[in-house]
Amino acid sequence: MQTFPRPREERLYVDRKPVAAICPECGGSDIRAYRVLSEGGWWNAEKCQDCLASLSRTPAPALGSYVPLGTTVPRTAR
Amino acid sequence: MFGVDVGGTFTDVVAIRDGKVQVTKVPSSRVDPAGSVVEGARRLGVAGSPVFNHASTMGLNAVLERRLPKIGFLTTEGFRDILDRGTVHRPLDAQTDPSWRRSFGDAARPLVPRYLRRGIRERKTARGETLFPLDEAQARHELEILGRTGVQGIAICLINAYVDPEHELRLKELVHEVLPGVEVSISSATSPLAKEYERASTTVIDVIMKLLFSDYAKQLDTDLGGLGFDGQLNFADCAANLLPWEEALERPFRILFAGPAAGTVSSGHLGAVIGRRNILCADVGGTSTDVSIIVDGKPFVQNTFEIEHDLIINALSTEVSSVGAGGGSLVTVSPSGGILVGPGSAGAEPGPACYGRGGTQPTVTDAVLLMGVLDPHGFAGGEFELDAAASERAFAELDTPVPFEERIRTTYRLAVAHMAEEILNVAVRHGVDIRDFSLMAYGAAGGMLLPAALDLLPLKEVIIPPHPGLFSAIGLLSTDQVYYESESAYVVFGPDTIDDVAAVYDRMEAKLRERLGGIAEGLPVRRSFDGRLVGQSWEIPFVQIPAGPITGETLSELVTAFHDAYEARNGNRFDTIPVEGVTYRVELVVPAEKVDYRPAPEAEPFPASPEGALTLSYVAAEPVQAEWFSREKLTTGATVTGPAVIREQLSTTYVPPGQQAVIGRVGEIIITEVTK
Repeated sequence: MQTFPRPREERLYVDRKPVAAICPECGGSDIRAYRVLSEGGWWNAEKCQDCLASLSRTPAPALGSYVPLGTTVPRTAR
Repeated sequence: MFGVDVGGTFTDVVAIRDGKVQVTKVPSSRVDPAGSVVEGARRLGVAGSPVFNHASTMGLNAVLERRLPKIGFLTTEGFRDILDRGTVHRPLDAQTDPSWRRSFGDAARPLVPRYLRRGIRERKTARGETLFPLDEAQARHELEILGRTGVQGIAICLINAYVDPEHELRLKELVHEVLPGVEVSISSATSPLAKEYERASTTVIDVIMKLLFSDYAKQLDTDLGGLGFDGQLNFADCAANLLPWEEALERPFRILFAGPAAGTVSSGHLGAVIGRRNILCADVGGTSTDVSIIVDGKPFVQNTFEIEHDLIINALSTEVSSVGAGGGSLVTVSPSGGILVGPGSAGAEPGPACYGRGGTQPTVTDAVLLMGVLDPHGFAGGEFELDAAASERAFAELDTPVPFEERIRTTYRLAVAHMAEEILNVAVRHGVDIRDFSLMAYGAAGGMLLPAALDLLPLKEVIIPPHPGLFSAIGLLSTDQVYYESESAYVVFGPDTIDDVAAVYDRMEAKLRERLGGIAEGLPVRRSFDGRLVGQSWEIPFVQIPAGPITGETLSELVTAFHDAYEARNGNRFDTIPVEGVTYRVELVVPAEKVDYRPAPEAEPFPASPEGALTLSYVAAEPVQAEWFSREKLTTGATVTGPAVIREQLSTTYVPPGQQAVIGRVGEIIITEVTK
C-alpha cells in the first residue's frame, strides 16, 4: 500500500518565485528564488535566470523538503 | 647580464659584469609591477647588457590570493564542473574529514565561479569523430551572456579536443566575433594532452596569465629599451628554463612560477664547475626551506606543477618540496609546555623581534642572534641594527617551564632538525644514498643553519655557494633557452603502430623547428614520452628515446627504455606486458649566455686568518670561545675550524664545533665533519 499520492505530473519542477531585482553581473531582470542542492547541503538561492549568478544564498534545512516525523512533534508533547 | 626575481615584497635585481656581482633591491609594486623592475635596471645600468632574464611570483601570488581577472570557461555540455572536482584526490589528512573542501572548489574559492562556466552542445569522440556537431547558435547565446557579465578572457576546453581541435578552433573564432578584444586560450593549443581536468585547469591559468602579463611584458620591453637595453628579454618557466618574452606569452601558463627552480639550476651550474653531480639543494628563506635534488647533474623535473592541492597545470617543472622552517619561523609553546618552531612565520613585516618593527614573538633569527652568530651591527649589509634585548624579551615572555637557555638551544636545534628531515625525505623518496650527496645550502639563512645538518645526516659535505642570498637570482643567469612541444595519443607500441609514433615525433619536430627558424639549425632535438604498462592509469614520465629513427627495428630499444625507466622508479619490471605511449615530447635547447665561474688554481689548505674573537652562547653547556672571519678575504685553500663564524655582506655562515670549512676554487665554502 502506498502511503503517498501517486504523482500526476510527468516531471517535478521546483517552484521558482519571481524576485524584483536586477542582476549585478549581467543586468538581467529575470531573478527567481528557489532551493538548490549544492556542496554544503540545501540552499535558498536567488538566481539570475540569464547568467545563473546567485544574488543571495542562505542555508536551507539540511534535508531539504524532507522533514523527519520526530522533528515535527512539539518538544512539550514528547 | 641581468637577472631579476620579482617577489611579493621585494624585486631583486642582479647584474654580473666581468665576473663581479652587483645587486639592488626595489620594493615590489602591485600598482605598477613593471616600474620596480625598470627602476632596478636603471640603478644598475642596463644599457649594453646582452640578456635580461626575468622571473616573477606575480602570477602565482595572484592565483593564490585569487586576485584574478574575470574570465569565462566553455566546455562540452555536461562537463562544466570538471574544474570543481579536480582529480578527486583528497590529501591523506582529509581522508576521514567530511568537512574538507577543495581549495578551488565551488564551496571555497573557485578560479572561475560556476555561473561563468558554460556548457556547449558538441561532442568529439576519443577517436576524433564528431558525435554531435557544434551548436553554433547555442554557443553564440552563451557567449552573449558571458559578454554581459563583463568577462575579460575565455578559456575553452572541450572533451577530446586534444585529438581533434576542430570545434575549439571554431569556438575561438566565435569568441572573436561575439566578444572582440577578449583574450582566448584553447586547450588544443595550450596543452594538447589527454586528461581533461589538467587540460582545463592549464587553459584557465593560461588565459589568466595572458591577462596579467601581456601589457606588463610589452611595457617592460618598451621601458627597458628606453634605458638603452637592446638585448634579449627572457622569461623563466617553472623549470627555470628561459623563453624569449614573445614566445613565453604564446603559452604563458609556463611562466607561472620560476623562483625555487632557479635555485636548483644555479646549484647544477655551480656543481658542474666544481665537479659535484649529485646535489641536494636547500633554499632557506624567511618562511620556508625549499628542497630539490640533482642526480647525475640533472635536476628532477616533473611533467606537472601543483599550485595548491590538486590544482594542477601541465607545465614542466622542477620538483621542489617545502617545509615550514626558515629564518623567520615563529617559536611557540605546545599545550604541554614544549618549544615548537614553525610553520608560522613572522614574515618581512613585522619580522623577527630583533628587527625592532613591532614583532614580539621570538623566531629562529632571534635565537641565532642570541647565540652570538649574527652580528647585530652588520645585518643585511648593515642596513639596520638588530636589537638583541628585544630577542631576549621575546624568549623570556614565552609561557613555558623550559629554562631560558634551553629555549634558545632547542629553537636552533629544532629548526635544523625540521630542515634535515625534509632533506632526508627528499633523498628517500628518490631512492638515493645520502652519503653520495653534497648539500648546497643557500638563501640568506642557509649558511647560518644548515652546516649543523651534518650532525644529523651522513651527507658528504655542505657547500655554501658564493652570494648565497642571491643564489636563486643568479640561477636566472645559469640556464638555457628550452623550447618544447608535446602531444597526446594512446598508442600500444607494436610493429603495426610504431609508424604512428614516429609520425607524431616527426610532426612535432617539424612544428618546433618551423617556429624557431634559424636559431634551431644544427641543434639536436631531445625526444621523450610518458608511457605505462597496458591497463595502468598513470604514466612513467620522461622516458628518453634513444637517438636515431623510430622504426620497427628500433622498437625493442624504445620498449626497453620504458622498462628501464619503470624499474628505476618502481624497483621492478614487467617485460612481458605491452607498453602504451600517452604523451610525446620534443625539446630543443638553445644555449644562452651564463654566469661564468672562473676557478682559481688549486691551493694547498692553510689556516685562515681570523678578523677577531667572539663568544658563542647556548652552543654547549658553557659559553664557547670562537673566531670570526670575513668571507671576502678568504682565498682558495683557506681553512676554518669550527666553532667559527664566516661573515659576508648579506649572509652569515656558522661552522659548528667538530666541523671544518675549506674555501674552494670559485669561492664556495665546503664544510665537512672532522670528528667522524
